Amino acid sequence: MKKEFTPRITSFLCKWCSYTGADLAGTARLQYPTSIIPIQVMCSSRVDPVFLIKAFLNGSDGVLIGGCHPGDCHYETGNYHARRRFAIVKSVFDSLGLESKRLKLSWISASEGPKFARVANEYTEEIMKLGENPTRKSIFL
Amino acid sequence: MTDSERKGAVLPAAKEPGDAVLDFLRLVMEKKLADAVILPLKVPSGDSYAWILMNDISLLDDAVPIAATMPVHGAKALRSLTRKGPGNLTVIAVMRPCEIRAAMELEKLGQVHPDNLILATYDCPGAVQLQKYVDDPAGSEKLFTEMMQKGKPDDSAKPVCHYCENFSMFDSDIHFGHLGLSDKEMFVIPGSSKGSKFLEELGLTPAVDLSAWEEGIDKLKTDRKKARKSAFEETGVQLRGIDGLLSVFANCIGCHNCQSACPICYCRLCYFDSETAEQNPDALIIAAEKRGGISLPEDRILFHTGRMAHMSLSCVSCGQCSDACPVSIPVAGVFSYIADQTQRTFEYIAGRNDGDPLPLRQFRKSELPGVHELVKDADAEVSSHE
Repeated sequence: MKKEFTPRITSFLCKWCSYTGADLAGTARLQYPTSIIPIQVMCSSRVDPVFLIKAFLNGSDGVLIGGCHPGDCHYETGNYHARRRFAIVKSVFDSLGLESKRLKLSWISASEGPKFARVANEYTEEIMKLGENPTRKSIFL
Repeated sequence: MTDSERKGAVLPAAKEPGDAVLDFLRLVMEKKLADAVILPLKVPSGDSYAWILMNDISLLDDAVPIAATMPVHGAKALRSLTRKGPGNLTVIAVMRPCEIRAAMELEKLGQVHPDNLILATYDCPGAVQLQKYVDDPAGSEKLFTEMMQKGKPDDSAKPVCHYCENFSMFDSDIHFGHLGLSDKEMFVIPGSSKGSKFLEELGLTPAVDLSAWEEGIDKLKTDRKKARKSAFEETGVQLRGIDGLLSVFANCIGCHNCQSACPICYCRLCYFDSETAEQNPDALIIAAEKRGGISLPEDRILFHTGRMAHMSLSCVSCGQCSDACPVSIPVAGVFSYIADQTQRTFEYIAGRNDGDPLPLRQFRKSELPGVHELVKDADAEVSSHE
């Protein structure tokens, strides 16, 4: 029997909003797929472009950054910087013809457990459609 | 200063454009308007140039202000001089426009302090590839002289020079213009208030109309624009997808020369040379098990793509990375292509000295639609907090 494809989505979640949002989704017993692999960061702006690229090249089918809503950042402006950094990686991916759909930036607050579950579900579905990341098979990276 | 108001002064005739620049610098030193000069000087073996900070006027006789090739990037010379601060003495440097542009980027990164520098540029026809120059210095000099006369790069020039649009005046204090001028004359044009003041003190009043020179430059720029478009189209096709990326960087030997030759890559400790990038053996074996195998040393492609994300916003397309590559990967062509697109994302032009900070040092509350979802909601959120 062919094994069903389960995507792996490396998720960098900010400690103050998105990670707490994910926690809330859990305590509220909301269902979301196991494809999400959460990594807690102190702020979405901690996510260096290299983190995203490394996750992608190492075979993550999707890479998610979760940060506070604009204006809500615990450090006031971190998420605005995160958005700029994210835009660079997206631009590099588009220029290289890599699938920039595999990268996602989302604003999820600490009180938005249901939103976290929704984003996780929708993004997993999106990635399922895209299929496996071609870098998973490449040995010359 | 708008282009239409721009005026220049004429320098006395000399045999070569370089000689006119040297005469200008002698005048500067005689009038004590600068304490030292930074210029390329041929190294004793005769097959390369070095940047020399000189305050002995007799050294000017051996200097070559418009050198055929670029062994060390000029911005690196300026960085080593002013990294710790501007210093008290006035120094004048004559460099290629891409070297001054890189210095401007380094200023934004706090690595160059140009307060007491007078930065001068000239109409650059292109630079001979370093390897070609080292192989045949005399022949390359001849080719470069022809390039200077025509104002166009030939096959010996770096590939990026063929489609460089910023080969002339670009935010320097003083510019020497010679392209399109029939006899051996040369214009000296102020590019900033600092440059205007400097020329005034020197007794050179910019009063000459520059339309003939400007027309020539504009025509060359149009040609370069076309060349740029077709070069980028070609690079875009080569780079398509992960397989394209792998084939372009297939023979990379991981020497990191492109990074150390790059004037913009200034970090004291690069992530890729740090201990963080070193992996433990078990992690690598697990990674190999998952794919069937992995190449070692690991992260070859990550190094290049990571560098694209880290420094393409400041890339001035000087071509030093390609010159430094021992296996002839067209690194500069790739980075130039990527830089064009990332800089467009932020409507930023690397090398401009207009007081704008680096794109990563600033942000707008509402920008980059399409980068994250729910842009509208996010905007509503912002206004509710203001």
